[in-house]
Amino acid sequence: MECLRCGNRDPRYFYKGHKGYYCRKCIRYSRVLLEEEPETFSYEVSDEAGEYRFDYPLTPVQLEASNKCLKDLQKNDILLHAVCGAGKTEISIASISDYLSRGLKVAYAIPRKEVVIELEKRFRKIFHKADVISVYGGHHERLSGDLIICTTHQLYRYYHSFDLLVLDEVDAFPLKGDQTLMNICLNSCKGRILFSTATIDEWLLMVLKKRQYQKVEVYTRPSGNPLSIPEILFVNQYLGFIGLYMIMKRMANQCLIFVPSKKLCHIMYRIFSRLFSCTYVYADLEERNRNILLFRNGERKFCFTTTVLERGITIKGISVIIYDYGNIFDQSNLIQMLGRVNRGIGDNEGKTFLFTDRYSRKLSQTMKYLKEANSYL
Amino acid sequence: MRCLYCDKVINKLSFKSLLIKEDLLCVECRMKLPLKRRTIKVKEMEVETFYDYDGMFKSLLLQYKECLDEALKSVFLYEITDYINLRYFNYKICYIPSSTKKLEYRGFEHLKLMFEEVKLKPLEGLRMKEELCQEGMDLKNRMKMMSNFVYDGKQENKVLLVDDVLTSGSTLLGAYRSLYSNCKRIKVLSVAYKNNLI
Repeated sequence: MECLRCGNRDPRYFYKGHKGYYCRKCIRYSRVLLEEEPETFSYEVSDEAGEYRFDYPLTPVQLEASNKCLKDLQKNDILLHAVCGAGKTEISIASISDYLSRGLKVAYAIPRKEVVIELEKRFRKIFHKADVISVYGGHHERLSGDLIICTTHQLYRYYHSFDLLVLDEVDAFPLKGDQTLMNICLNSCKGRILFSTATIDEWLLMVLKKRQYQKVEVYTRPSGNPLSIPEILFVNQYLGFIGLYMIMKRMANQCLIFVPSKKLCHIMYRIFSRLFSCTYVYADLEERNRNILLFRNGERKFCFTTTVLERGITIKGISVIIYDYGNIFDQSNLIQMLGRVNRGIGDNEGKTFLFTDRYSRKLSQTMKYLKEANSYL
Repeated sequence: MRCLYCDKVINKLSFKSLLIKEDLLCVECRMKLPLKRRTIKVKEMEVETFYDYDGMFKSLLLQYKECLDEALKSVFLYEITDYINLRYFNYKICYIPSSTKKLEYRGFEHLKLMFEEVKLKPLEGLRMKEELCQEGMDLKNRMKMMSNFVYDGKQENKVLLVDDVLTSGSTLLGAYRSLYSNCKRIKVLSVAYKNNLI
C-alpha cells in the first residue's frame, strides 16, 4: 500500500472508511482513496505568456547563474543556493519564461502566504502578458492561469500537474522538516524542480538524495554589500532588556527586533512603546498588515516581531536586533534575519546586534556561513 | 498507540482511558477540548450542548466533515457517551438529515457515525423538503431551514433530537417543530455551540 500523493507506506496510517482505504498521513489536505488515482489538474497556457521584462538589468553574476539554470534544467533538477538578497527570483525568471513560451505549465511555490501576495505583484509586472494568479489559504476561487504562484500547502490541489516547479525558500517553516508536505510538493510536478534556498541543511540534502540535481551557487548581492556580521552580546536574559534599551536609545535608523515568542513580542511592545515609537507583528495578530504598513511607511521606528517577518520583506536602511534566548532560532532563521539588512544598492548603514546567553552550535555555524559567503566577494 | 490528531505517541493515560475505555486522543489534545455543559434556549426549545465550537473542536470537526476523516468518529462523544446513554435511556434518537449531495460526496452519514456508540434506537421519518446546503449562508437564509423539515413517521413517546453544531438554532428548531405534533416528549442535544446565537 502506498499513498500516491504523500508517498506514505506505513500501514498504521491507512484507515478503512465507507469508500475504501485512505491515507491519514495527508488527511489534512483532503482525502485520497487508495484505489483512486488523485485527479490531475489540466489547463491551457496562452501563447504570449512567456514574454518578460525587467525594470533594471541583471548583474553579470545573476545573468550567468540564470543561463546555467536554463541550460541545466534540460537534464536535471536544480538546487539554487544563493545568499539573502542575491535575487533568487530574478535568476529563475529566464527558466520560467522558457517553459511558458513552450506552452508548458509552471508553478512558483513558497511556504509563506505574505511572500505569495508580494510575489504576485512582482510577477504581474515582469510577465506583463501572462495571466498570473495566486493561490493561498482563503484565496482559492481561481486555480488555473498561465503562471501559478501558490503556497506549498496549496500544491495538494495539483497532483502531477506541472512541468516546472520552482520551490522557493525550502528552508522555511512550515515546509522545513515536514516530509509529508515535501512529498506532496514533489508529487505535484511531473517534470523538473528548481529548489531555491539560502541555507542548505541535512534534511534538504536527504530529500535531494533520491533526485539527480545540479547545484548553482551565487554568493554576491547585486548591491555588492557583504552579508552583515552581527555584534554578539553575551548577556543574561533579564539584563538583555537593559542592553536592548541602551542600543535602541542610540539607534539612528529604523530597526526590526526579532524575539523568539509571540508572548515576549507582546510584552516587549507593551514595555518599550512607552519609551519609543514602536509597533509589533506576529502571525495571528489581527492588525498585522496595518502594523507592517506603519513600519514600512516609517511612521514607527521599531518593530518587534517573531520569525514571521524574517523573509520576503525589503525595507531600505533598516537595522536588525535579534533577541536570541531559549535556543529557538536555528541557522536558517538567523541567516534570514541578518539578511534583512543592507539589501538595496547604496544601502549600507544597517547594523546588526545579537543578544544571547550562550555560544551555541547554531550560532557558530551561522558565523562560519557568513564569513565563508563574504570571502567570495 | 498514536494520537489521532497530533500523531504523537500516547504515553500518558488518563484514569478513564486506563480503566474504562481507551481514548483515541492524547491527554494534551483532550485538555484542549474542555467539557462545558450548558443549556441554551432557542425560542420554545431548550438545547443541551457540551463543547464550544472553536479552536480544537472546530479543527477536529473540519477534519472529520470536510477532509472526510472517518477515523475521528468516536473522538467527539468520548466523554459524554455514558451520560447520554443513562440520561436518555428509553429515548429514540433522531438525527438531522444531511443533503443527498453531501452524503454522496462524503460516503458516510457523519452524525450516525458520531453517535455510533450511543445505544439508543434510531427514529426514521424526518426528512428535508428542499435540499439546502447551509455552508456560507447568512443568518437570513438560514432561517429558511426552519420550515424545511417534514416528519412522516409513527407517533412516538420520547425522542432525542441530535445535531453536531448549534449556530443559529434554525435547523434544530425546524426539526423540533415538525416532530412536535407527533411526539410526546422531545429533548434536543447538540455536541457543540457556536457563540453567535440570535
